[in-house]
Amino acid sequence: MFQFFSDALLRAADLALIAVALSAVYSLIRFPNVALVQYAVVGAFLAISLQSAGLGLVAAAALSTLAVGALAVLFNLAIFERLLKVESSIALIGSLALSMILSAVFLLVYGPTAYRLQLPVLAPIRLMGVRLTTWQLWTLGLSVVVLALFALLLLRTRLGAEMRAVATNAPLAAATGIETRRVTNIVVFLSGMMAAIGGITLALRGSVSIDMGTNLLLPVFAAAILGGLGNALSAIVGAIVIALAETVITNTNLGPLMGEAVWFLPASYAPVASFAILVLFLLFRPRGLFVSEVTRV
Amino acid sequence: MSGTAETLLEVRNLSRHFGAHQVLGDVSFDLRRGEILGLLGPNGSGKSTVLNIVSGFLAANGGSIGLNGRPIVNAGPENVTAAGLVRTFQLPSMPRRMTVREVVQAGDATTATLASATRPLRFDNEVDELIAAFNLGPVAGLPASSLSGGQKKLLSVAVALRCRPRILCLDEPTAGVHPNLRAEMVRILRRYNAEGVAMLVVEHDMLFIRDLCHRCVVLDRGEIIADCAPASLEDNPRVVEAYLGKAVEKGKLAS
Amino acid sequence: MSDFLIHVASIACIYGMLALSLNLQMGFTGLVNFGLIALFGCGIYGAALAHVMGWPLIAGLAAALVMAGLLGLFFARLGRRLSSDYWGIATLSIAEVIRITVMNESWTGGAQGISGLTLLFGDLRPWDGLARLGLFALALFATYLLCEKLVRSRFGLAMKLMREEPQLARALGHDINGIRARVMLISAAIAAVAGVLYAHYLTFVGPDQLVSADTFLIWSMVIVGGIANNRGVVVGAVLMQFAMAFVPFAKDLLGLPTDFVAAARLILVGGGILLFLLLKPQGLLPERVGAGK
Repeated sequence: MFQFFSDALLRAADLALIAVALSAVYSLIRFPNVALVQYAVVGAFLAISLQSAGLGLVAAAALSTLAVGALAVLFNLAIFERLLKVESSIALIGSLALSMILSAVFLLVYGPTAYRLQLPVLAPIRLMGVRLTTWQLWTLGLSVVVLALFALLLLRTRLGAEMRAVATNAPLAAATGIETRRVTNIVVFLSGMMAAIGGITLALRGSVSIDMGTNLLLPVFAAAILGGLGNALSAIVGAIVIALAETVITNTNLGPLMGEAVWFLPASYAPVASFAILVLFLLFRPRGLFVSEVTRV
Repeated sequence: MSGTAETLLEVRNLSRHFGAHQVLGDVSFDLRRGEILGLLGPNGSGKSTVLNIVSGFLAANGGSIGLNGRPIVNAGPENVTAAGLVRTFQLPSMPRRMTVREVVQAGDATTATLASATRPLRFDNEVDELIAAFNLGPVAGLPASSLSGGQKKLLSVAVALRCRPRILCLDEPTAGVHPNLRAEMVRILRRYNAEGVAMLVVEHDMLFIRDLCHRCVVLDRGEIIADCAPASLEDNPRVVEAYLGKAVEKGKLAS
Repeated sequence: MSDFLIHVASIACIYGMLALSLNLQMGFTGLVNFGLIALFGCGIYGAALAHVMGWPLIAGLAAALVMAGLLGLFFARLGRRLSSDYWGIATLSIAEVIRITVMNESWTGGAQGISGLTLLFGDLRPWDGLARLGLFALALFATYLLCEKLVRSRFGLAMKLMREEPQLARALGHDINGIRARVMLISAAIAAVAGVLYAHYLTFVGPDQLVSADTFLIWSMVIVGGIANNRGVVVGAVLMQFAMAFVPFAKDLLGLPTDFVAAARLILVGGGILLFLLLKPQGLLPERVGAGK
């Protein structure tokens, strides 16, 4: 049982960082940036490359995180600001196109093989009957700390207040002297950093290959939409729900239902859980879990 | 205030709240055949909410609306329009990739069926008549979004009339419109009113109201506080108070 | 070489139909469908189902149309309450669910797919390739005429009004849920027919034909060719299809590694979309505003 929860928790932490980043950016510029999941892959690959170039683990991770933040701002200035002037759905298509180009770059630079960070081997820990590697604990801790810092930033700082003001009513915020473009780009920078950290935590626990971003796309979106896109912190709850659903669907013995003693759904069905929840939610509560909707005819 | 044969639109006990905030208390009024009724009130008094509910864009929490005896409350905008009531918007937004003429043609939803694809597209005579009546001839072939704010308002009224409504609901038809166009608007609206179109007009401009409306209903904080002729508005102390607070000299309201 | 050209032209015709289908949805009605490949999938698996059951081709076509119609209506139903970005993600998810399900179930042939479908005009050898190309070109042309009729009608005006000003369309009495459902049904039917033709051309059906990357390929055809221009999207389909087909030659010519093919195709699609959106958003043949007289 505890194994089940630890699996779900680790998965939730992976999804939450990127989902929160996605949701935070959406709150400001009203389009879901698909390329964020690829920023996570850039973060992971860059950290691996920097490490093999001779940097220490911490330095490589930090440098990669900053670089991805800068890259996110660069793409925002060069592509998304311009596409958003047309329409938000055009910006969404543009972000899909950017994702494809990034995939191509990964393929050309890294090829289809999987890569790993060079990590010192640490003894696994036994906790309530579950084997956890030290790196799993580290990544979980790191995710929690980053999410907590982001929450503090959002709720306790001037930047956070400005960000919420822009999210609620951008023209009004601009009229009161908030530089909406600066606030937006700072948040884009932070979102790139969070995505990169998300990618690096995945690299700390296993291998990274070029399809990581594509595989993350729909679960991350499901988590963000479940929380209510634009409602950054509730994306964490969304991530937990999705992670639980994925873990339940692949770890439950469906034998009795199928008339057999033991029958598990193939692991490839795990993503179906998140998509199914996503579609059901979009059907019945399109604004997410926490928004009480104004009835419209 | 009970509905008679003269009553075209019968609004009874309309209420609406957003969360804990009561926007409309208990609003009742009638629109008679051939009448132009002004709906007035300070900002936040609930005028737009009334218009949104009447036109089917917003659900009411309580109350009823009858159009010619037919209930239309919470029927959805397309059904309200089909029943004969059509609205315009305060800030009409017009398509970038359709011409003025196409937009006016598209105002007729009844013939826009799949079966229409079996025939080549022809514009109805009525389209050209409306375009001429609203002086939109010179811009008829331009993208609708390229018009000025005032022209867009004219266009939105022309498109609404294309639905051949019994009741036309206008949301601030002169706000932001050049004075020359405003006189134009009054002239055109009078003409269609003479042809039998009743109107419900949300407006701030007192000159426009006095020029056009036969009667006024004044809303304040979601309640009706007056129902009178436009000329007697400024004699009504509750109206003056609602607009300007107490201790206001008579005659200031019109300015 | 000429066989190869006929092959690429045949596939271009099929993709031209898909581009026209997407153009009806996205170009003229503003429906951002990222799950188009699933509607196409209903077509190819409808044909495969008929093959497995031993039905004639026409029954496969009927099955394909029914499945695609139901899926199209489901997409339309979802669109009632969702803004375009949410709807795009929802349709993408549904297409992925369908692909994963098809890949893991045995009745669909699983990952191996279903092979041995009858080849269209197979007994006309050696002229079968040309005969197929003729049929596909005819189907493309018929689809083009259908789409042109549709967008140059009063219904077409309603589609365009809904695309840009859905609120105004509703205020004027247009039933936008009805318009959405009709457009989805028509474009689903086009995609299903394209799928049936495709299945009886490749004679093989598998989950690899359902990947979302192909949806984005169709998107690139529409964006490069010209959003809301039916001729433009056909031009886009031919251009993109030929460009994709010649990537392997470029690889051999330049002696590049195999990964180059996949990467170059991603760059063609992604780069094509992005460059056109940024530099020439109206595409090669822009929409003709007010052309309907």
